[in-house]
Amino acid sequence: MTAVPARSSEWVRPVTLPEPASAIIEIDRVSQVFQTSARKDHVALSDISLTIEEGAFVSILGPSGCGKSTLLYIVGGFVSPTSGAAKMKGQVITGPGPDRGPVFQEFALFPWKTVLGNVMYGPRQQGVRAAEAEAQSRALIEMVGLKGYENFYPKELSGGMKQRVALARTLAYHPEVLLMDEPFGALDAHTRTRLQNDLLNIWERDRKTVLFVTHSVDEAVFLSDKVVMMSKSPGRIRAVIDIDLPRPRRRTELLLDPRYQKHVVDIERMFDESDEAGPSL
Amino acid sequence: MMSPAALTRRAAPVLACIGLLAVWQIASLVLKNDSFPTAMEAIRAIPDILGDKESLINILASLRRMALGFAVAVLISIPLGLLMGRSRSVAAFFNPLLMVVYPVPKAALMPIIMLWLGVGDITKTLVIFLGVSLPVIYHSFEGAKAVEEKMLWSGAAMGLSPAQRLVRIVLPAALPEILTGCRTGLVLALITMITSEMIARQSGAGNILFNALDMGQYDTVFAMIIIVGAMGICFDAIFERVRARLVRWSEPQFDMPLSFS
Ligand SMILES: Nc1ncnc2c1ncn2[C@@H]1O[C@H](COP(=O)(O)OP(=O)(O)OP(=O)(O)O)[C@@H](O)[C@H]1O
Ligand SMILES: [Mg+2]
Repeated sequence: MTAVPARSSEWVRPVTLPEPASAIIEIDRVSQVFQTSARKDHVALSDISLTIEEGAFVSILGPSGCGKSTLLYIVGGFVSPTSGAAKMKGQVITGPGPDRGPVFQEFALFPWKTVLGNVMYGPRQQGVRAAEAEAQSRALIEMVGLKGYENFYPKELSGGMKQRVALARTLAYHPEVLLMDEPFGALDAHTRTRLQNDLLNIWERDRKTVLFVTHSVDEAVFLSDKVVMMSKSPGRIRAVIDIDLPRPRRRTELLLDPRYQKHVVDIERMFDESDEAGPSL
Repeated sequence: MMSPAALTRRAAPVLACIGLLAVWQIASLVLKNDSFPTAMEAIRAIPDILGDKESLINILASLRRMALGFAVAVLISIPLGLLMGRSRSVAAFFNPLLMVVYPVPKAALMPIIMLWLGVGDITKTLVIFLGVSLPVIYHSFEGAKAVEEKMLWSGAAMGLSPAQRLVRIVLPAALPEILTGCRTGLVLALITMITSEMIARQSGAGNILFNALDMGQYDTVFAMIIIVGAMGICFDAIFERVRARLVRWSEPQFDMPLSFS
């Protein structure tokens, strides 16, 4: 992944030249300005350019309010940027689609559906036959560790279980890119660690592209191939850091690995510097 | 076996009814007023009414109008309320309209409607329709507004069109709130049904009641009040059962034992 260099605005990619096989998402000088009622316009994202390679696990790390969610929503097609464009496989993203599957921090499960009903929803919408969708969904539910809970309603589940259902529901319709917004943010440390391990196992199995928003430096380094560090007011990319740790990764081994420790310390230092540079409101 | 607490809960409504009738009986015995029959007299008049073919036809005519007014109101109000809740322009158009209609007692519109449409079924059904519509629209509107945006986004990512999202996400998500509105609407339907028949006599349960009042048959008047009240309680109880079943997924956990009672 490389930051896309600034180009003249009317530069058009020749149709005959295919994309480099590896780029799946390109964010091209995206800015997002919100009209706020009280104050003047609020620049949430300023001139963000980023290319994400197919199969990469990319984390976005940054202080609260720096625009991480907004960036994810733009890639999801839920929000259209004020200027610039996000592209999926060379096509400008104009709306949501099943090729990009979101997992929201708020879970956003359908409360009137059971666990099975939630997971089957996407495949059924895609026209998969009921029996087949059910079989696939049951397998997915087992994979995320919820076997036996198929007929439970969301209100009967704990936060960690809901998050697992949300992940299974999104995986069920086979998006090419997973967009995860602080999926483990609301969970206790133990559940969080378990879900991180499970997510890595799933990811190492089928290598979907993952765009993963988080507050946690450990989590970002542990999971990712690249960590995108953002700064605040206006939201910008500060640095993109390659995490060259071998896979498959095991948490207990990694915690003792000096390379892992160095990455964590480096990133935390960078955040400290930006804190000293000025108060982030 | 039922626990003592459950037994009390079940017996409570029956005890309340018996208590009410007892107070009534004593009060009327003490007051000795011709226009205030005892509870026993009123209850004794009930079989006469229910056994009379003419009266039954009247009551059934009332119920038919009520059912029709309620059904049409619900079928129109739910989609309208949901659309208002999800579309700012639809809300901007209908909100002022409803704000004007809201505080007007629907029965007060009857004389005007009677001028246009006569004193027949259409007028009365229309008044019932108006009475039911507003709470159902309001609750559907509030329910649709409160639907979590991320839920709709999740649906959009699965490929649901805006219309599909309205029917398959907004409608079920808002259902608890919608049904609360429908429950209010059902009681209002009964009330407007009687009021409409008071204003435009001709047929109906209200007609029996107010004719008896004119003729000084007070036991019939009170018997009709009991019959109408009992109908209201029955409709509400049946509706509550259906509602609880439809939205079991949303009830708070501690309500679970109650819903199995
Ligand atoms: N719909 C909106 N209207 C106005 N301002 C918004 C809107 N959405 C986001 N913002 C503003 O944009 C900025 C970035 O928001 P965003 O939610 O993307 O931050 P974030 O990095 O995800 O924060 P957190 O880590 O706390 O989730 C914030 O200052 C927020 O107030
Ligand atoms: Mg966020």
